[in-house]
Amino acid sequence: MSLRIGVDTGGTFTDLCAFDEATGQVHVRKVSSTPDDPGRAIIQGLQELLEQIGGRSIDEVTYFAHGTTVGTNALLTGRGVRTGLITTKGFRDLLELGRGRRPHLYDLQADKPEPFVPRDRRYEVTERVRHDGRVEIPLDLEEVRGVVRELKKQAVESIAVCLLYSYVRPEHEQGIGRIIAEEFPEAYVSLSSEVLPEFREFERLSTVVTNAYVGPVVAKYLARLRHSLSEAGLRCQPHVTQSNGGIIPFPTAEELPVRLVLSGPSTGVVGAAATTAAAGSPDIITFDMGGTSSDVSLVQDGSPKVTSSMELDGRPIRSPMLDIHTVGAGGGSIAWIDSGNHLRVGPASAGAFPGPACYGNGQDPTVTDANVVLQVLNPEYLLNGQLKIDAQASHRAIKSLADPLGLTVQEAAQGIIRVVTANMARAIRVISVQRGYDPRDYVLVPFGGAGPLHASRLAMELGSRRILVPETPGAQSALGLLMTDIRSDFMRTQIMLASPAAPGDFNKVFSELTDQANEWFEEEGIETDRRSLSRRVEMRYAGQNYELAVDVPEGEITAETVNVLIDSFQAAHDRMYGYSAHDEVVEAVTFRIQAVASVPRADLRRSSFAGRSVESAILGRRDVYLPEEGGYTSCPVYERSRLDVGHRIVGPAIIEQMDTTTLLLSSDVCVVDDLRNLVIEIRRSISE
Amino acid sequence: MNNHLAKAPVVLDSVLVEVIGSALSTVVEEMGGTLVRAAYSTNIKERRDCTAGLFDAQGRGIAQDEGGSPLHLGSLMGIVDAIMERYPLEEINDGDTFIGNDPFSGGGSHLPDIVLATPVFVDGVLSAWAANLAHHADFGDRGHAHIFQEGLRIPPVRLIRRGHLQQEMLDLILLNCQVPHERKADLRAQQSANRLASQRYKDLCARYGREVMAQAAEELLDYTERRTRAAIEKMPDGVYSFTDKFDCPELDEELDLQVKVTVEGDEILFDFAGNPPQVRASVNVVWTALYASVYYSLKSLVDSDIVANAGLYRPVRIEAPRGSIINCEEPAAVNGRSETCQRIVDLIHGALATAVPERVTAASNGANTGVHFSGRNSRTGKEFVYLETIGGGCGARASKDGLDGVQVHMTNTSNLPVESLETEYPLVVEAYELIQDSGGAGQHRGGLGIRRAVRVEDKNIHFWLDTSRQKSQPWGLDGGTPGASANVALSPGARPIDHGYTVLQPGDRVAIETAGAGAYGPTSKRTPEEVARDLAEGKISEATARRFYPQQTEQTPETGSGSGSSPTQGN
Repeated sequence: MSLRIGVDTGGTFTDLCAFDEATGQVHVRKVSSTPDDPGRAIIQGLQELLEQIGGRSIDEVTYFAHGTTVGTNALLTGRGVRTGLITTKGFRDLLELGRGRRPHLYDLQADKPEPFVPRDRRYEVTERVRHDGRVEIPLDLEEVRGVVRELKKQAVESIAVCLLYSYVRPEHEQGIGRIIAEEFPEAYVSLSSEVLPEFREFERLSTVVTNAYVGPVVAKYLARLRHSLSEAGLRCQPHVTQSNGGIIPFPTAEELPVRLVLSGPSTGVVGAAATTAAAGSPDIITFDMGGTSSDVSLVQDGSPKVTSSMELDGRPIRSPMLDIHTVGAGGGSIAWIDSGNHLRVGPASAGAFPGPACYGNGQDPTVTDANVVLQVLNPEYLLNGQLKIDAQASHRAIKSLADPLGLTVQEAAQGIIRVVTANMARAIRVISVQRGYDPRDYVLVPFGGAGPLHASRLAMELGSRRILVPETPGAQSALGLLMTDIRSDFMRTQIMLASPAAPGDFNKVFSELTDQANEWFEEEGIETDRRSLSRRVEMRYAGQNYELAVDVPEGEITAETVNVLIDSFQAAHDRMYGYSAHDEVVEAVTFRIQAVASVPRADLRRSSFAGRSVESAILGRRDVYLPEEGGYTSCPVYERSRLDVGHRIVGPAIIEQMDTTTLLLSSDVCVVDDLRNLVIEIRRSISE
Repeated sequence: MNNHLAKAPVVLDSVLVEVIGSALSTVVEEMGGTLVRAAYSTNIKERRDCTAGLFDAQGRGIAQDEGGSPLHLGSLMGIVDAIMERYPLEEINDGDTFIGNDPFSGGGSHLPDIVLATPVFVDGVLSAWAANLAHHADFGDRGHAHIFQEGLRIPPVRLIRRGHLQQEMLDLILLNCQVPHERKADLRAQQSANRLASQRYKDLCARYGREVMAQAAEELLDYTERRTRAAIEKMPDGVYSFTDKFDCPELDEELDLQVKVTVEGDEILFDFAGNPPQVRASVNVVWTALYASVYYSLKSLVDSDIVANAGLYRPVRIEAPRGSIINCEEPAAVNGRSETCQRIVDLIHGALATAVPERVTAASNGANTGVHFSGRNSRTGKEFVYLETIGGGCGARASKDGLDGVQVHMTNTSNLPVESLETEYPLVVEAYELIQDSGGAGQHRGGLGIRRAVRVEDKNIHFWLDTSRQKSQPWGLDGGTPGASANVALSPGARPIDHGYTVLQPGDRVAIETAGAGAYGPTSKRTPEEVARDLAEGKISEATARRFYPQQTEQTPETGSGSGSSPTQGN
């Protein structure tokens, strides 16, 4: 019978998940990551995992999906390839000039991001297209040939091409692409008209340069991994998660690597969405808290919210991606006192090394140390005993903050928790309140090593009423890979009036996009009954430059449909901005089709009550510092793996499991559902 | 000295204050985002020439959107006071929104900055103010001899009364604008931002209680004050002065600007005595803009991380002669006040260079170069006003080069993408690039200026230029040489620019070159690797390399070496 495998590579651990279609069981394996060659840990982990589940053969693996941070890391550490740029005459400095703003309003020591292509590898060519697609100056082919030869002499590995208005008229970029193919066929080429056919030249340039810079790294990584997997005996085509949470085959991913920048974090979101949808909670806010940062996102109706742009180290990247907001607040975040005597936490982090003081190597007071002092975390060991905790070191570290503030060590530790909770609440407001969603309407889903530890307080801060802690919060991303469909996005920017008189214009654009999507289905070998398409159009009032997305109903677009779309847009505008302007002209700007090929998903096995009492899961009791209860309070400590379906725990209590700890505050009521999730009802509201 | 450090703060209070402060920052960011996304004019939707703030019931600023420009603070800071001076408290009602732009009666620092201020009522009590400003790119092709030429003056008056739009007021305003359709849409976006802020503030009150919110605001101001005092305390006591030359296209002569800064304990005095009287040109500075410039300078020099609110003002004293160019009185014209404001910042840096040499920068490009095109767009048949401010060199720092081609100090607007500009206006951008050799030479090079060349495609396009440093150069520090001056070039046959103004015809080109910035440290100390890199990248020419860095260019630098020691030390 067949096995389906999900692999998520993180900074510290590589998580592997296997779903056995015969038994319906999910198996998890964690191995240390190998950052110098992430593929090594994957192959090793895969072999260990197959061994663990009874010496199964790799032949049985019918599906392999992977979430990776290779692209992101190459960008963050500046380890892309030597890249050249060809652009319109007069604009080679655009990459440095950007949108003209300085990086920080008040910090005079802040620097702009170093351009991925230095000035001496940025070449201009004579040509000019106008906004309406008219060619004002034809492309000088001989000049292009000379430039390409120069770039070859400069020993670049990759070439980005970005000309003005290439989203209207791609011919000049295509011409340059042909000359590169003739003169320098080994170069990796990225044309902006293919990577991002959208207006705003700097954002397009930044995206295509990012793609060129990181492309060969990602392509090589995926190709090598594909080779290793095939050598190890894998028969199926491996797949990888894109930033939008969709899964695509390796070869397709190698063509547009910029779309993999959020591969890692988006995998966790998709996993959480699938897990909680199965548990009957399709509207969630995910909260993935690791050692150095937390990622938050919003999922509605089982679908993660998407966006089209982000900034990575000050460089804009536009591509379809999940709307994930990252904040520098994790277990390793360092607490400090600023010059105004306020307690602050992060963004500096003790990282994996030296790590929190309680790991024995560092002295800085971190969030984890605060949790050790408060005894929310086990003050003796973590990770089922694999990690010894030095509680005295935590005390010393927190005391170094408490003394100057005139506080007790416990008060200072609690202060750290409150500040870090506020930082995370602020991050969640960005993806909820600021996008027009009320966080109180969403179930909070904490995962990652530190998520469940802070979820209850965060829920109170946000006014959430329910928390759902998945069964394996540490392996959420790997699990998610087994629950995700194969997906690709197709888009076109074409500004037109939304006029009921001309529904034909809408149909024309959508039918071209549909053709592209069907072509993709064919290439991927997706059977007809597994295909589905959804359409959206982004609209605005003529005059605005920011659009709101509206779902397009199925079928041919008629005058009636256009009116429906306009009404939907007016309603969306009213929701977002508090007004709509019926006297104004509405434009359609960007047309999108999402093609989804459903895959047989890991269907989570429902369990039923096994008859054990909840008391049998109690490991012992621990005094946990809970200011709400007036100080150290004796709390029962439960072992998560011994909890059964239907078990009910009333806080205050601690639930420990291998890779995380869940804190229940007093009057929180936790029930284990039939998918073994902890479902926590928050009965209190914040009253501070 | 101060009582605030004496009593140890209770951490639970300070944490709650931090929590509420963070929520207030989210609100103002959200206001700014709403304004940008809903607006129609390029100056707001793409260039982000707008800002948002929250004020307490007494009109003290408690949070400001950092997506805007520091100078915007000047346009915001007067309005709530002005409203409360003008209207008795009992006449200010829930559902009112005030509009204003007049520098002399409150609400702006030049006329295009239109402010909307909305009182927030909680439990029937006036508890806070939401205010935002947008720079409306309108009032194009006006005169600048005095303020009555510069556009419509709006004192703080109601645009919305108890929830009802005052249509007559709006009609009056729109009739005075060249692009009324944009104005109407942008004002709607501004209302949307305040509406959202009111709701958010009410939500916070429902959560924490009105009194707690008021107390938190009080504490946030005290907190900022404590941090500001702590930072000033670290500066060496003393009296520091600086003088510089100022020019602008409207004035034939150069003016001498000056400042004297006195640091004493944890307080600081900025004395602008001796500055020239206000001029019959657009470059006069009203007091709110002067204050904004001083506060920006202080915050960026002492601690960039301090939360910007009215607590920052408490340890600061500012003295400036009334009727002078930096504290002008009615009817002075003020439209180009940002040129002068940029130089107030440079003056303060120059003065404090001996006090905090590691924090100041050499002179930046010294202008907020504004290019204004207006006229009739034959593609649409409608009037248009296009405004762009172009960045330039940022001054070199004590330990590194200055930034090339950025918005500096009092402004931080975005540029307008060429693909947006050419779609909306009858103009073509032919080049947008850094200027070789425009940064001062030294151990740390000054930032490069920007060259932006624009071709006009319609008839009778009115062109107006605001800039400075055409006649002088941005100074260097500690032996660094000055950056290049600003320059404007017209294509042959175009009508010359007269005191900042000309009319352009189809095919005419105007190329604006903004100034570079001054260097920091002697040229002998620049490493051969840095010289080689600048040379390879064309940021300096070979002539410049030979002239300023003769020793460094003689050696063949080893590229890629990570050695930190400078081979030229001891020369």
